[in-house]
Amino acid sequence: MAIRDILEFPDPRLRTVAKPVEVVDDQIRALIDDMFETMYDAPGIGLAATQIDVHLRVLTIDLSDEHNEPLVLINPEFEVLDEEPHKYQEGCLSVPGFFEDVVRPQKIRVQALDRNGDTLDFIADDLLAVCIQHEIDHLNGKLFVDHISALKRNRIRTKLEKKHRLEAAHA
Amino acid sequence: MTQTDTNLRALAASTLAPLLHHQGSLKSQMASALAQCEPRDRALLQAICYGVMRYQPQLAALSKLLLKRPFKARDLDVRALLWVGLYQLEHLRVPPHAAISETVAAAETLGKGWAKGLLNAVQRRYQRERNTLYEQLQSEPSFRYNHPGWLIDKLQHNWPDHWQQILEQNDHNGPMTLRVNVARISRDDYLQQLQEAGIAARPCRFAKQGLTLAEPCDVSVLPGFDDGLVSVQDEAAQLAGELLQLEPGQRLLDACAAPGGKLCHALELQSGLADTVAVELDAGRAERIEQNLERLDLQAALVIGDASSDDWWDGTAFDRVLVDAPCSATGVIRRNPDIKYLRRSEDIKALADLQLAVLSNSWRMLKPGGRLVYATCSIFPQENERLVQRFLKQTDDACHCPIEADWGLPCDTGRQLLPQRDGHDGFYYAVLEKAKKSVTEQAD
Repeated sequence: MAIRDILEFPDPRLRTVAKPVEVVDDQIRALIDDMFETMYDAPGIGLAATQIDVHLRVLTIDLSDEHNEPLVLINPEFEVLDEEPHKYQEGCLSVPGFFEDVVRPQKIRVQALDRNGDTLDFIADDLLAVCIQHEIDHLNGKLFVDHISALKRNRIRTKLEKKHRLEAAHA
Repeated sequence: MTQTDTNLRALAASTLAPLLHHQGSLKSQMASALAQCEPRDRALLQAICYGVMRYQPQLAALSKLLLKRPFKARDLDVRALLWVGLYQLEHLRVPPHAAISETVAAAETLGKGWAKGLLNAVQRRYQRERNTLYEQLQSEPSFRYNHPGWLIDKLQHNWPDHWQQILEQNDHNGPMTLRVNVARISRDDYLQQLQEAGIAARPCRFAKQGLTLAEPCDVSVLPGFDDGLVSVQDEAAQLAGELLQLEPGQRLLDACAAPGGKLCHALELQSGLADTVAVELDAGRAERIEQNLERLDLQAALVIGDASSDDWWDGTAFDRVLVDAPCSATGVIRRNPDIKYLRRSEDIKALADLQLAVLSNSWRMLKPGGRLVYATCSIFPQENERLVQRFLKQTDDACHCPIEADWGLPCDTGRQLLPQRDGHDGFYYAVLEKAKKSVTEQAD
């Protein structure tokens, strides 16, 4: 197991559309283990493979404080059950330090494969629905900052670019 | 995805802790807390602080049941933090695990790391046993009606037909109401400006210059607010202006003026006043009057002074006097929920004595034939109807003028407004006139 580097906005690699996983094998399970380790270390409550520069449709999620409710979603799909807009202040490991309100449908039905390749089919609402939609966005090359105004997005871009320059200078 | 990082619960607890020590008010505490808070968290901080004070009677009863022994005086911040935690679990749409862990982490921020285990255990027990706890507490009126017991008793006694409605309205947010500056723009024209700005509003039922907004908003989005086209003022407070029956050339005294809403309204309605004196005891609050006068481009002589003494008075009598007396503010609990916690039953008697002193003192400054409007934002007859009766009994040259109006409930003296859903606050008005010649002079 290893902690992987997380790509940060505006890295163009975050815009890659991830490919479906064809077979859930040990290689995928090793990726999942790394993703959990990376996510818990960050710390975050959700991670898409895209964020560690692996462009496969794999998500890891854990909303618990104790890190004991891991959820793996492979090739996830969702349909909206309740269009009622739900506002949540989202943050992202690829956009560190910034939080903005994002409005998304509040209830969804999710279908995916788990780490053994078995089918998952469940209904999610509240924070879980927010998190799953946020992570599926990553697999499609989208970030939460795409849901906010261009003004705010550009401000975040400028600040992160500056941070990256400073980090490069001190590296 | 990540979750927010600042610990808002710690900030909320340290904002509320001084109130638990009976220091300051929620409004004054909020001002400095909001300044310390990230803009994105301000609405949530405000919701938590106001919510905790609104549900304080229930939260206190719950924590009493859940704790083995009460907190020490130096740990009232932990007590506040526990209330914040319980409030979130019951009333906010925050996922419970996040609410609990944030509250537990806040103990560390407050430097009370020892309380982490306790906060965690108490909140988790609340989660598990919530329904049983609620059933157990239902028999206590202060829990059931979410008000301090003395307040419930007093309201039951004073308002046998209305007390439940009052208690219910106290726990609903009052609407945001505007007063249009009719010296500058008509109410219809301003309503149109609001519509053009996409702000939904409707004319008030009773206040002729009033508009009630469908949703509260920041004043900065109101058209022409900075230029003085409009002010924020509850509908009940706007009824004072008309009762004064101001005419050109008159001298007006506002004896307890801050923050200056009724004063400015009077000046907007009658631009031809000869002279206006605004008295306020608290210099800090007097600044608010100055700001309002300036924004609305109105003039008044501002005096920092005590309305129950005359050391600031030049001896020239007034044609009109407004006494908006210091009071229990029990008519505006929905806007100032900390009153539930801060006010004590024994305060009412002391307030009534102060009200009588202010009223009697201001009365001496009123010209024979002049008119005095007495107002409070209290719903206790002790400060209102019965206070005016006490005054009338001891004052020979005072005559009570019944108010002919379609608002409020008529009392033996004056009219009482009770807080209304989507309508006005709780308020009281009485109008008194001074006999043209005093009785003693006639006897001479």
